[in-house]
Amino acid sequence: MDSLLTDIRQNYPANRTQRFLADHSLVPTCQTACPLHMEIREYVDLVAQGKIVESLQVIRSGNPFPSICAYVCTHPCEDACRRDQVDKPVAIRALKRFALEFGGDRLIQAEAETSHIEKVAIVGSGPAGLACAYYLRKFGYPVTIFEAHSELGGMLRVGIPQYRLPREVIDTEVQRLTRMGVEIRTNTPVVSLDLLFDIGYKAIFITIGAHQSLRMRIDGEESPGVIDGATFLREINLGLRPSPGERCAVIGGGNVAFDAARTALRLGAREVRILYRRSRVEMPAGPEEVEQALEEGVEIVFLVAPIKIKREKGRLSVTCIRMELGDPDAGGRCQPVPIEGSEFNEEFDTLITAIGQAPQTPGGFGVRLGRGSTIQVEPGTLATNRPGVFAGGDAVTGPATVVEALAAGRLAASRIDDYLQHRYPLVVKETRESLTGDLLPETVEMVRRIGRVEPPILASEERSKDFEPVELVYDWETATNEARRCLRCGTGAEILSQDRCATCLTCLRICPYHVPYLDAGSTVQIPIDQCQACGTCVAECPAKVIVLRKPHDRRRVTEELEHILKTAAGSKLKPLIVGFCCQYGLFGTGTLASLWRGARAGVWIVPVLCVATVEAEHLLRALEIGAEGVFVAGCGDGCARENTASWIRQRVEKVRKILVQIGLQPERLQTFVSGTLSEDPAQGMDNFIEQVGGLYLASVMMQEVKS
Amino acid sequence: MIVAEQKPLDEISRMIASYERVLILGCGTCMTVCDAGGEREVSFLHNALRVAQSKIGNGIHIFWEYTLKRQCDPEFLELIVERVAEVDAVLSLGCGIGVQAVAERFPELPSLPGVNTSFMGMTRETGVWDERCAACGDCRLEDTAGICPITRCIKGILNGPCAGTKNGKCEANKDMDCAWLLVYERLEKLAQLERMRRYYPPRNFRTIPRPRRIISKTSVDPGEEYG
Repeated sequence: MDSLLTDIRQNYPANRTQRFLADHSLVPTCQTACPLHMEIREYVDLVAQGKIVESLQVIRSGNPFPSICAYVCTHPCEDACRRDQVDKPVAIRALKRFALEFGGDRLIQAEAETSHIEKVAIVGSGPAGLACAYYLRKFGYPVTIFEAHSELGGMLRVGIPQYRLPREVIDTEVQRLTRMGVEIRTNTPVVSLDLLFDIGYKAIFITIGAHQSLRMRIDGEESPGVIDGATFLREINLGLRPSPGERCAVIGGGNVAFDAARTALRLGAREVRILYRRSRVEMPAGPEEVEQALEEGVEIVFLVAPIKIKREKGRLSVTCIRMELGDPDAGGRCQPVPIEGSEFNEEFDTLITAIGQAPQTPGGFGVRLGRGSTIQVEPGTLATNRPGVFAGGDAVTGPATVVEALAAGRLAASRIDDYLQHRYPLVVKETRESLTGDLLPETVEMVRRIGRVEPPILASEERSKDFEPVELVYDWETATNEARRCLRCGTGAEILSQDRCATCLTCLRICPYHVPYLDAGSTVQIPIDQCQACGTCVAECPAKVIVLRKPHDRRRVTEELEHILKTAAGSKLKPLIVGFCCQYGLFGTGTLASLWRGARAGVWIVPVLCVATVEAEHLLRALEIGAEGVFVAGCGDGCARENTASWIRQRVEKVRKILVQIGLQPERLQTFVSGTLSEDPAQGMDNFIEQVGGLYLASVMMQEVKS
Repeated sequence: MIVAEQKPLDEISRMIASYERVLILGCGTCMTVCDAGGEREVSFLHNALRVAQSKIGNGIHIFWEYTLKRQCDPEFLELIVERVAEVDAVLSLGCGIGVQAVAERFPELPSLPGVNTSFMGMTRETGVWDERCAACGDCRLEDTAGICPITRCIKGILNGPCAGTKNGKCEANKDMDCAWLLVYERLEKLAQLERMRRYYPPRNFRTIPRPRRIISKTSVDPGEEYG
């Protein structure tokens, strides 16, 4: 038994071991695109393995309020997702929502202890303010949030309609903050910062948002019946029920315009029309939002702008003019140009303007303002011209996204910490390189197409009645399948040390994606931006010099086998059977997941990234540590990769030949590939277990006879 | 490249039976490329021997494994001097040259062959190798359009084809191409068919004095230097 535990292998030089332990994976494009730099690849992968609680841990570690992002994030990660080059991006936001709902996010408690005496005031309780409060509390500062409205949340509360972000979600996060010891003062507009300094605050973070709607500057804008989008949404979200009348027009093409239009519909407007002065391509609103609004019956009229509003007999007569697209401006968007003589009149009961918003900073703050009355700050530190005063969120950037505000809040918290501790700002540098570059057409061609599945949404006739959340959450199977679509960018294979590479070209010949190539200097290169991390070359390399870039992927099988040796191999009640199973799909999360970790007496599963990574040595090692039978189970047709099973079949055959030479029955080794099984996989597994049990019994009897 | 295949496990087991501590020594050049004795095969053999030991229980050995970049250069062997001091035998997965180099460097230690060194060849596809050169020491590939009749003709005849060629295949093996037909076809493509007409006298294999030695450094007479 002792000799089993000591598995002495090649003694490598120390520097090689260090390289072997280090994480060489690259930062994927989704993570680079996320303002919070969340470890998206990691948590999506954990969802794919069905490890929802672990996934939630990763999500929570990178985002103070993931539940809010799960509903309303504009997901720049999905826009950067390289899967888009194959079919459609991975539905990252919806997967996050799934992880939060199924991982029990509501039960998680945040804790914080006070370790500093410097008090910090946060003016405004939008996402930036809440995030800043969260992190400052974690650092140990006493924090007070001042909020002008009666409830916390800023734009989350007064701007985003309930059907997109249920209020319980904000309430849960706010409660968590209160439990952490954040002091909250609602209905307290701050007019002067001096006062705050006077009553003992050492630093102030201004995050007052951008609540002031821009004006159209046309005749009749002041008429009753004309309301701006921000005010309209605020009134509803603070409990009022304004009546938009029968016919309602919304001016603008951003998310606020769509929120206002869909809200008007829910308040009983029979006809809601969005007037936008450019075309669909230039429209800044998110595509899902546009889609859902159209389904609910909102009408969009492009290339039209109002030029005059007149109130007649209790209705609004709006004169509009048609537009055509002119030359692109500096930002690349085509400027609309009015077409002479194309004016026409329309009658509406209500007109909602949503053409943009700006911050409204009280003069008493004494901070320098910049373009569009935003607060000027130093970009790296968020410091304003007043010492100790920092600013972030929409108040600095103009109307932006929730996730950008959260990132600003987090940055502000660490900079305020630096300021209060009289430190030079510490810049945490990412040591890993970022992945860049597109997939080559040859690679794209070999990646198996798996369509993106959107989370279910309420039927359009159901949802336009009330303010119930529109989007529902994935079920278990859909979520794990959607998460499996992730290409795991940047975690692929690498040649650990070129000097040990024999340049045998095996990797180049067997790669299913034709990724490795021979460079001009006769050196094999595995370009990381193309590698799909299937691990076939890792298990085939005759010099054992190719490894996966993530240390966890490299060591996993060995560690799991050691674990089995220490826990299960000692018991002789039932013959031990070790199975190497794909961590995804049927065996990871599907019907055979019940076999996981000795749940069935005698059967132990080693989850592997892909069965193609199981080396012939692993099969032998499993037998050595006491397994009576070993099986390898892959997903076959359900696999996200092409034809990985043929490689493991070859290795199994090789080991079977050796078993015969040793004097063991080759039936002790089996491959199961679902999709090719004629019978139920569970049935096939049962038969195998029975067979191995028989062989075990026979061998025990032979031993008896011999002795 | 030198091509070899690993010996059957039972042969290796018999070979090491009388030694307790065994170093399995891989070779990182030809043997790695031909899947016979690289780091992976060393590790695989190690595991297989351990399974045999734990399941069948014949003999108790302690194994170590190490893979050198090359076994055929004495400097590389210096790297394992300390390790070798602790073992009873070295099971070399190098080619026959490696086994002899180990034996020469460590005269007091048994050096056991783990592979059957087969031929000099090239890769056809992953896992398939073909013999191409017999190392006859007198290359005439220029006249035979780059196709060696010594290795690729089963009879090794120098003036072919013989009467045993049928439909382009060899009479000795219906699956094997007639090397001389290949020579003919290639010469035709190169417009050098006249080379077929030449007569090559029989080779005198006795002129190869074994073992051969090649000296590439030039000997210099120190007295001839100009001041």
